[in-house]
Amino acid sequence: MEFLKLKRSRIFLLSLVGAILPPLLMFIAVSAFGEGNTFKVLFTNVNMYMSALFAVLIFAVIMSYLFGREYNEHTLKTMLTIPVSRGKFILSKYVMFLIWIMILTVVTSLSTLIFGFAAGLDGFSLKVFIYSFAQLLFANVLLFLTFSPFVFISLFVTNMVPAMIGGAGLALVNLMVYGQSWAPYVPWVCPYLIASGEIAGYGTSITLSYGIILATFLVGLFVSYLYFTKTDVTL
Amino acid sequence: MVDYVIETKDLSKIYSKKRAVDSVSMHVEKGKIYGLLGKNGAGKTTTMCMLLNLTYPSDGEVVIFGKDPKKYSKEIYPKIGSIIETPGFYENLTAYENLKIIGKLRGNYNPRNINSVLEIVNLTSVGSKKFGNFSLGMKQRLAIAAAIMHNPELLILDEPINGLDPFGIKEIRALLKRLSHEFGITILISSHILSEIENLADVIGFMDGGVLIEEISREELFNRLNKYVEFEVSDTDLAVEILKRLQLNENEDFTFRGEKIFLHTHLDMRDRFNAMFVKEGINVKKVNLCEENLEEYFTRFVQ
Repeated sequence: MEFLKLKRSRIFLLSLVGAILPPLLMFIAVSAFGEGNTFKVLFTNVNMYMSALFAVLIFAVIMSYLFGREYNEHTLKTMLTIPVSRGKFILSKYVMFLIWIMILTVVTSLSTLIFGFAAGLDGFSLKVFIYSFAQLLFANVLLFLTFSPFVFISLFVTNMVPAMIGGAGLALVNLMVYGQSWAPYVPWVCPYLIASGEIAGYGTSITLSYGIILATFLVGLFVSYLYFTKTDVTL
Repeated sequence: MVDYVIETKDLSKIYSKKRAVDSVSMHVEKGKIYGLLGKNGAGKTTTMCMLLNLTYPSDGEVVIFGKDPKKYSKEIYPKIGSIIETPGFYENLTAYENLKIIGKLRGNYNPRNINSVLEIVNLTSVGSKKFGNFSLGMKQRLAIAAAIMHNPELLILDEPINGLDPFGIKEIRALLKRLSHEFGITILISSHILSEIENLADVIGFMDGGVLIEEISREELFNRLNKYVEFEVSDTDLAVEILKRLQLNENEDFTFRGEKIFLHTHLDMRDRFNAMFVKEGINVKKVNLCEENLEEYFTRFVQ
């Protein structure tokens, strides 16, 4: 049902554009400034910009759209009186968010591949592509877990503006934190560090980073569920 | 014993010390149309939201189909169709697609059902038009279609005629009457439009300031409405004197204002009084048997 809800959705199309943006920017960098001349470098750069920067902003918008639209379009009362249980409602949104992320991951990887060929880069192999795709997918899935607190924000403030500001703010924080010794402790930075393997260079415990991601997910999930099930529906 | 589909006991909702709904004990009989009447902000929507579990009561009980809807929500709510305030549908989807989602979630998706209800509410011609481009009347019609699509046993409709043109109102009124009288569907409908409730409801509940002031059947209501005879005469003083001569008391049996005399008792003797006025040389310009309407009756309660 969540798929049907997205039919003709502009936000869905915009998110696809957002997923193509990092490969496009890297393509321009390669074509105009000659930055990197192999597929491996292109994939590495795209994955870094996508999961550490663009994805944070895009995911925040998606999450707030998935929940916020049910309030803004007054459909929440329609859903809950069907009845759809509040727990199942949240779960369906999480699942849709995860699927949406996977679609974006595929779009980013495929468009990187196409831009790479368009730029005439060397060193393509299926292994490079699969490895890069798996790396981006892993980073995005970990990032998905860290977006649980955004569910609460989307339920609490039902329009998309706070989530967009929050997403943009987080993207900036990621930029500032990346490279700092404490970066592995920041939930929205560690997905990329773990997936790319860069975390090894920080000399911190990877288990702790996983724990921080998991804790962020669980706290966000718990608070969102508690809030959503205990609060009256805003009409 | 009366079979109530909806019964509330001292149902209350408090928003930061303000009692939006105050100890409402409502009784909606099976197969009847119950009109919940009240000004904007009287507590009608909040009461309906509590019935639908969208708003949690601060106090009191809700019983629907004889059961607690919180405990038996999966059993009770599929039997209910509802409209609460603004119609809620996905703006990027068509009428059919929106109903398809609802049908699938209810587990009874049937294209024929959807086409049939779209026909009932005159929305078959909208085709690929997106809900976001619908007029308010069309949105309201779609909401009604969604509410009746699954053949519910109970309809909870909050201001369902909002935004409809007079023809639309007439059609929906006829539809609701048919659903109730032919199919035995119980309907709880709220409105601030008195004439609408007057035309539709079998039982009327008056709400004001969060309080359910009175529940009254249509028949009982009409018995309670004040009736009086209005005479418009050329000589009020003489007419008053004649009435007093007949042992009628001012303020009790009649009142007067300007050229008008209002007879509150002995209404069946109005022809006799008229004949006496004429005999005494009074020019009787008008004799009207008047009845207080619902609006006047309601105003007596809320002022």
